[in-house]
Amino acid sequence: MNSVVVLVLGLLVAYFGYRLYALRIDRRVIQSDPKRATPAKMYMDGVEFMPTSRNILFGYQFKSIAGAGPILGPIIALQWGWLPALVWILLGTLFIGWVQDYASAMVAMRKEGASMGGLSHKLISPRARLILLAFIYFYLLLIAGAFGNVVVSTAIGLKGSPMAWLFLTAAGLLAGQMIYRWRTDIILTTVVTVVLALIGIWVGSVAPSDKIIGPDLANSRWLWAIAAFVFCYFAAVLPIWRFALPINYVAAYIVFLGLFFGLIGVVILHPSFTLPAYSSFTIKIGPIWPIMFVTVACGAISGWHSLVSSSGTARQLENERDALPVGGGVMFVEMMLAIFALIIAGTLYAAPSEYAEAIAKGPGGVFAAGVAKFLGAIGLPTDVGRSYGSVMMIFLAITIMQLVVRFMRIATSELLSDISPVFRNPHVGTFIASLLGIFLVMTGWWQYLWILFGGANQLMASLALMIITAWLMSEGKPATWSLLPTIFMFVTTVAALLYTSYNLLDKVLKGAVKGEAAAGNTVIGVIGFFLVVAALVLAYEGLKAFGRYRALRVAEASARA
Amino acid sequence: MGEEKGKKGGGFLKAVKEFVYGIAAHDSARFALKTRASMEHLFILITMGDMLGVPILPPYYSLRLLPYVVPQISTWKRRMLKEKDLTDALA
Repeated sequence: MNSVVVLVLGLLVAYFGYRLYALRIDRRVIQSDPKRATPAKMYMDGVEFMPTSRNILFGYQFKSIAGAGPILGPIIALQWGWLPALVWILLGTLFIGWVQDYASAMVAMRKEGASMGGLSHKLISPRARLILLAFIYFYLLLIAGAFGNVVVSTAIGLKGSPMAWLFLTAAGLLAGQMIYRWRTDIILTTVVTVVLALIGIWVGSVAPSDKIIGPDLANSRWLWAIAAFVFCYFAAVLPIWRFALPINYVAAYIVFLGLFFGLIGVVILHPSFTLPAYSSFTIKIGPIWPIMFVTVACGAISGWHSLVSSSGTARQLENERDALPVGGGVMFVEMMLAIFALIIAGTLYAAPSEYAEAIAKGPGGVFAAGVAKFLGAIGLPTDVGRSYGSVMMIFLAITIMQLVVRFMRIATSELLSDISPVFRNPHVGTFIASLLGIFLVMTGWWQYLWILFGGANQLMASLALMIITAWLMSEGKPATWSLLPTIFMFVTTVAALLYTSYNLLDKVLKGAVKGEAAAGNTVIGVIGFFLVVAALVLAYEGLKAFGRYRALRVAEASARA
Repeated sequence: MGEEKGKKGGGFLKAVKEFVYGIAAHDSARFALKTRASMEHLFILITMGDMLGVPILPPYYSLRLLPYVVPQISTWKRRMLKEKDLTDALA
């Protein structure tokens, strides 16, 4: 099939899904009211609660949710063939993805800007909040491990990426200095630092890491894992304006310029899929159901989005009617991003064996090669294009990683400071998070790590959907459109986590893996089981809450009668 | 008619500009505000803490500073008394 047909299909699903389904839910079920005061207006503090234009929030939401997830998931899922991945991306977004993103923002808005922890406390039970926070900690740890692995495999597989990474970091630090210390004009700052980052991409293509530090160091997983987490360490402990924010600022231009011109390249080249539409039901990492449904994570649905929608976006929406274009609309755009990634990898290789060889080294290399091909259509040399794609990949992953490590630092301090005051020290929490992340990167096989990350991510989504359903029931609104996705996602993700964790621990018990791989398998497997147990307890609490709300409705109906 | 077209064109450009700002800089602006707010909150807590039952500075100095702090008191109290949650740190 031609890639443009797939792009058009995606656009049609996005258009009709939004106009015929999402808009109907917003107007008839949720009954968004443009006259109702939003938390941004009611509790305006000029900081977190602040009415903001929906165009700004559209960009903010997109930037916050479009990390490595929607790109790498489809690239990995091509192992089952491109058709199952495409169907799941389209149907997952249409019936589940936008529902969660939009409704999380809407529930948070109607509950005075409460975040997911607060919502679980109010709508489910006090115990649910504590379990959810523990769940989120380990979910974020898996993100750090999976994305850390992507950074390491990209730095090793594409030798131009370390230099481009270094230049972009330097450009970001310069941007921070220019904006906050020298008070330089923002346009001048942007031009200077983005050009510097682009020079770094070119330098990366002519000065690969193996020529500078030698092949041994350039291929050392330890070196790049430590480099990635030292980067995150600085992002977590330094003032946020000094390191994390300006680097993210410059990286945003590099990443979104790459995506924009890459998409133009797809339209110019409009290649056909060369990989098979369907390979087999079961591959090395598992069967299509449930494993593919967690492998393609953010492109169809992602629990991460519910955290962004509730804690960030919901507190800034100035009008209830903006929740749909911002929450739901951005999810449909993310779906297009996942389709773009599917096209990149699905049309790149002449034969399945070439793809199998490339994916074995890590998905970052596949993405970078695809970006090089499509940027080539607008005249960029292949080497520079590959260097560009690799630095895009690294920053798509590492911007989320640094946020995760920063959050884990705060969580360590909040949850453990009663045990010992030493945990209040920001370096202690950051060190623990970095150490755990490095351990996962160095001991876990990246495909299993990705599946467990995807499983935890989707399970988080099902928990968010459960909270949404509880709210709908408490308000006496129709809840089937949210309840059915909750059940589907819960059953699928629990099955995926159990399947993968069992496989990991089974290998350890049978002695099939030894040394550090055995340690990695054990830890990842145990985390997987812990997430399942936490989710089951939360589901039990959720069911009790559903019962309470149903009884309340029945009592109200009989009182009216 | 021409004016309307111009408005529409301007509206589109404004939307694109805001979208790019949202992607690249909105987060930075929010964190800058958060940093400033936490410093200001600390300052108000030191000077006006007795409003929340935390007397720190002698009332003489609080009274001298009061005119400068008045515009921020309502948002300060709102933020100080708001229920905090760990997941707030994610966005």
